[in-house]
Amino acid sequence: MEEAAREVVRSYEKARPRASGAASEERYRERWRWDKVVWGTHCVDCYPGNCPMRVYVRDGKVVREEQAGNFPRIEVGVPDMNPLGCQKGACWGQHLDAPDRVLYPLRRVGERGEGRWERVSWREAMDAIADSMLDAIEESGPESIVQLMGPEANPWNIVGLARLITRVGGLNTDVNAEINDFSPGIYLTFGKFNLCSSLDDAFHSELILIFGANPVYTVIASYHYQVEARYNGGETVIFAPDCSPSTMLVDRHLPVRPGTDAAWALAMCKVIIDEGLVNEPFVKEQTDLPFLVRTDTHRYLRACDLEAGGSEEQFYVYDERRGCVAEAARSTLATGDVDPALRGEYEVTLADGSRVTVTPVFELVREHLEQYAPERAAEICGVHPDEIRKLARKVAAKRTHVWAGGTSLKYYHGDLMVRSIILLLGLTGNWGKKGTGIGCWSIGMFDGMMLLGQKQEKGPAETRRFLAGRDAVIAAIRAEDPTRTEEMCRIEMTRRMAGLAGMIPPAFLWYRHAGYREIWNRADWSDPTMTRPFDDYMREAIDKGWWQDVAWPPEDMPPRVIFQAGGNTLRRTRGGQNVLLRKLWPNARTVVTIDWRMSTTALQSDFVLPAANHYESPRFHIPSPHMLTLIYSDRATEPAGESKSEWEMTLLLAKALERRASERGIGEYQSRRGSAHSLKDLYRQTTLGGELVSEEDVCEEMLQDTVLAGTIPEGTDLAAMREQGYLRFIDWGISPFAINQASDLEPDETHAHSRWHTEKQLPYPTLTRRAQFYIDHEWFLEAGEALPTHKENPKMGGDHPFVMTSGHNRWSVHSMNTTNPLLLRTHRGRPHAVIHTGDAANKGIRDGDEVRVFNDMGEFFVPAKVTPNARPGQVIVYNGWEPYMFRGWRGPMDIEPGLVKHLHLAGGYGHLHYWVLQWQPTPVDRAVRIDIERANGAV
Amino acid sequence: MADATPSTHRQVAWVIDLNRCIGCQTCSVACKVLWTQGEGEDPMWWCTVNTKPGRGTPRDWEQMGGGYRNGELALGRLPTAEEFGEAWEFNHAEVYESGKGQDAFLKPIGAPPTWGMNWDEDIGAGTFPNAHFFYLPRLCNHCSRPACLEACPNDAIYKREEDGLVLRDEDRCKGAQTCARACPYKKIYFNPARKVSQHCIGCFPRLEKGVAPACVRQCPGRAVFFGFLDDAKATVHRLVREWEVALPLHAEWNTEPNVFYIPPLSTPWIREDGSVDESRRRLPTGYLESLFGPRVRAAVGTLESEMSKRRQGRPSELMKTLIAYDWKEMLGPFTRDPAELTWS
Repeated sequence: MEEAAREVVRSYEKARPRASGAASEERYRERWRWDKVVWGTHCVDCYPGNCPMRVYVRDGKVVREEQAGNFPRIEVGVPDMNPLGCQKGACWGQHLDAPDRVLYPLRRVGERGEGRWERVSWREAMDAIADSMLDAIEESGPESIVQLMGPEANPWNIVGLARLITRVGGLNTDVNAEINDFSPGIYLTFGKFNLCSSLDDAFHSELILIFGANPVYTVIASYHYQVEARYNGGETVIFAPDCSPSTMLVDRHLPVRPGTDAAWALAMCKVIIDEGLVNEPFVKEQTDLPFLVRTDTHRYLRACDLEAGGSEEQFYVYDERRGCVAEAARSTLATGDVDPALRGEYEVTLADGSRVTVTPVFELVREHLEQYAPERAAEICGVHPDEIRKLARKVAAKRTHVWAGGTSLKYYHGDLMVRSIILLLGLTGNWGKKGTGIGCWSIGMFDGMMLLGQKQEKGPAETRRFLAGRDAVIAAIRAEDPTRTEEMCRIEMTRRMAGLAGMIPPAFLWYRHAGYREIWNRADWSDPTMTRPFDDYMREAIDKGWWQDVAWPPEDMPPRVIFQAGGNTLRRTRGGQNVLLRKLWPNARTVVTIDWRMSTTALQSDFVLPAANHYESPRFHIPSPHMLTLIYSDRATEPAGESKSEWEMTLLLAKALERRASERGIGEYQSRRGSAHSLKDLYRQTTLGGELVSEEDVCEEMLQDTVLAGTIPEGTDLAAMREQGYLRFIDWGISPFAINQASDLEPDETHAHSRWHTEKQLPYPTLTRRAQFYIDHEWFLEAGEALPTHKENPKMGGDHPFVMTSGHNRWSVHSMNTTNPLLLRTHRGRPHAVIHTGDAANKGIRDGDEVRVFNDMGEFFVPAKVTPNARPGQVIVYNGWEPYMFRGWRGPMDIEPGLVKHLHLAGGYGHLHYWVLQWQPTPVDRAVRIDIERANGAV
Repeated sequence: MADATPSTHRQVAWVIDLNRCIGCQTCSVACKVLWTQGEGEDPMWWCTVNTKPGRGTPRDWEQMGGGYRNGELALGRLPTAEEFGEAWEFNHAEVYESGKGQDAFLKPIGAPPTWGMNWDEDIGAGTFPNAHFFYLPRLCNHCSRPACLEACPNDAIYKREEDGLVLRDEDRCKGAQTCARACPYKKIYFNPARKVSQHCIGCFPRLEKGVAPACVRQCPGRAVFFGFLDDAKATVHRLVREWEVALPLHAEWNTEPNVFYIPPLSTPWIREDGSVDESRRRLPTGYLESLFGPRVRAAVGTLESEMSKRRQGRPSELMKTLIAYDWKEMLGPFTRDPAELTWS
């Protein structure tokens, strides 16, 4: 206790006894007591989430929780992160005995979704699920067992159920496509989507540009840095279509027509070039803008053009110093004594003796930007040309950080918006130093969790063996191409492992088995530059082997057993129940949901297995570079009812599979992909020889392995974590995602991504080894997207007058808290559609009226919230509401078609290949076309 | 009426920076979980955050009267339970296990609610694209001239010497609710089960142990400064008395509140052609004056000029204070981590 606090306590102790109120006061003092306090957090994907909390227990019951509020200061002169938290975390304990809690294993007795259940024992449930898995293996193959990964997957799900499914030969879908959180725009440019600086790095920004985001709702725990940056002399500028809550207290709100952010960004790029504000040294070193492109084919000039047998991955610049074409180094960004030209046209002689004209990408950019004069861009996006000019000059002059919100990932042409904005940052040298850059999300550093899946035996010797084996693989990959950086080697290793790990990008499953094929072939809802039906692009992508090993399961192998753990696929999936319930569900013999609360997916399942809540079993959260902290959550109370942790459930399922396989005489079997599997020793395999049984056993093993990987200090053990609750990582460790941050991790500095690129000239993991703005893949050339450009959002859902947008809500993390009565009382207790006052008047809709929202996909009903803050023509239905909160369980997700952009199937080109969490198609939902009308008295 | 004001040695105060408040209700929820989950307490929210302009909770509370008018205690109207918003119950079981399937959907049981603690959230006022609002957290003002105290017919309300909190002896309270009529801020709730009124207790059990109130310590926006107003070195004192950037809400009601607000610096105005008018803000100054009085102009001016100093790279003591590099600076002397406490 600090001296001032001690003095206050003493002064209270000296206070005179009270004549009146003493007993009354004493009762309140009594209310605040507890008999146990443990560390807790909520392993949730509100991102970065997982705020460190203290959980207070009294008489064996969680009574409340409170943010720990004792994060140390990291960098002198930068505010600390305390007291990370939000209203959902501040009442998390309310979930433990809430009316949406699942307490017993349930088996459906009525129709799916009818709500008729029988309570069964764990043994009955597990035997039945095991039998349905064995049926699937025998009748179809293990790949027909699929876990649709959810965003709330905690370590118990990842080291437990997901690995069990891999062991039996089943498939787990890539969560980043499931939750639409992949950023193709960042990936296309940098060869990795998951850049992110630490939360506190925003304080260093002199200019924060926010777009596609509503941080006042979505990042409650860390929003304060934006205000503090502003108080420190920085400026915050937000581009948002509506007067969202995040537009109220900023230096500038520039209302932008939905889906047109590329236009203002490209216009700003034009201003920067026209006014000579380009950071040329940065551009020449860090980007592909000096690279030469053939004007005849519009493809990069490659070594294979200049000499027979030349590399397809050797590119060229024009050296102004020597007046000739020069190879662009692949092993470094440093230009050495070459002075790459950004302008001009040059002639080169090809291998066949013909001569062609080449020009730097920068020239193509400059010409391309001719169509984005501020006045012209203003017509597209609605941002005033003067504002574009003023802001462009500021970006050129200030440390600028771009906050690209989740909406930027969920527009059909979100990749173009993001690429355009990164071009703006690139021209002005705005990444790779504090207070700059663009961010998405990442994992990494908790290497013990990853290692556990690779080990066959408990203990450090096995870990060391594995780490040595891994080093050998990395060395072999580097030997194939010595110019590869450590980052590139790790990416390549991860790419090669994807097929083996049974992790699949779900696009192929959706296309073949979940009913999306019909939607994705809607040319009128897709980009008009497509010259062929979507089917043709899909076929070409498969035929060319661009998705080899991961395009599973095949047409004749519909998922038979579906698992859902830590997710709510019928809530989150665009196209929702309209698609999945009609196509995917009917072929599934068994749908199993593991959750601590009754979700819509649970209601449509055959089995609902009750999970321990986050306060009921020890666990770690999945850390991110935003906090750089490993956070522990202890067991505050025993699991309620008959609930169990996912780890315990996994072991029960392993035993049941082993037992039923033996009873049914099922021995070794082959998967369709050719791997051999046996269930004989499943329990021993899962528990590493029967050694890891309790959650504590596994926590300790993961910690010790994380120590060996070097990301947490030696001597760290579970007892220490129980005491201190969290610790800051000391290094990046062995994960590709951690090293993707490409900056040294310092104990006393904020983390700004990409400093190895800008300070050590380490090349980027892209085709060109530069931040790549020109994508000369044939599909991109055909689509007119070789360079960042603006394209109109397709009329997804039909030709209707309104656009419907969404985004995370304030009141719940996804759907997790959305049916909690306490939180329901902090708003209107129902979902709502935000509608502009004028639009509502035109349609005869009053605040609170039920509205019918409809398009070619279907309809749903929702109460209106009428406000002048909405944009005319735009209707916002925040996501996270349970479908069962809407009439007929039909919500906005059901009329979002969930289109994917065909270009995101492209491959066979440098960095355009799948590896976990990375390059893959993800369905979009923003600015779907709709219409609205007052529901005729139907309330 | 000055004689009626109890003498107090010390006075705690809250200073809420409305440029930092993001309306997340963490303060409301923290308070709710800590203090009002007992019998008859479900509809109570001692701390609430409402969107302004807006009708707030209880609905239209600013028109209900109370406080001191022309030096006299002026009893206002008693808000109804409907105006506060009830604690709705929901039909979870019907949806989950009644066999009705998709014919049942989750909603409040009974007649559709007409108001709640945050009913007009994010509605605001004005015209797109210059529509505007901000968030206003409210709790008991622990007034230096508490109208509730004077109004109570049972002498159940007292102001503590050691911290100036206005508390209620619930053993004396007979549930007359005269206090609730007298309180112009309508922050007093009635517990129908226990037949007593209740209001924010300033987290006194925490203060007595050196721990800041839940609404302060749990605010993720770092929006609330707390401490002794009578301590000239305290941040709250400097913000209120020296910088004069923190003002009471509706000072004209004359109860001398001890919750102060740093006014919001609303986003600049967008002209019809889409260009930005830096000289005009979306939120009308007149509206801010209606809440925080004429001194709000000077407060806004001070904030703006200190912010512009930082933009020019010059130091600003005020901005340094508002940034609160060390979060604990916001808590005054109440910096103790409650998890350290043990009970014998």
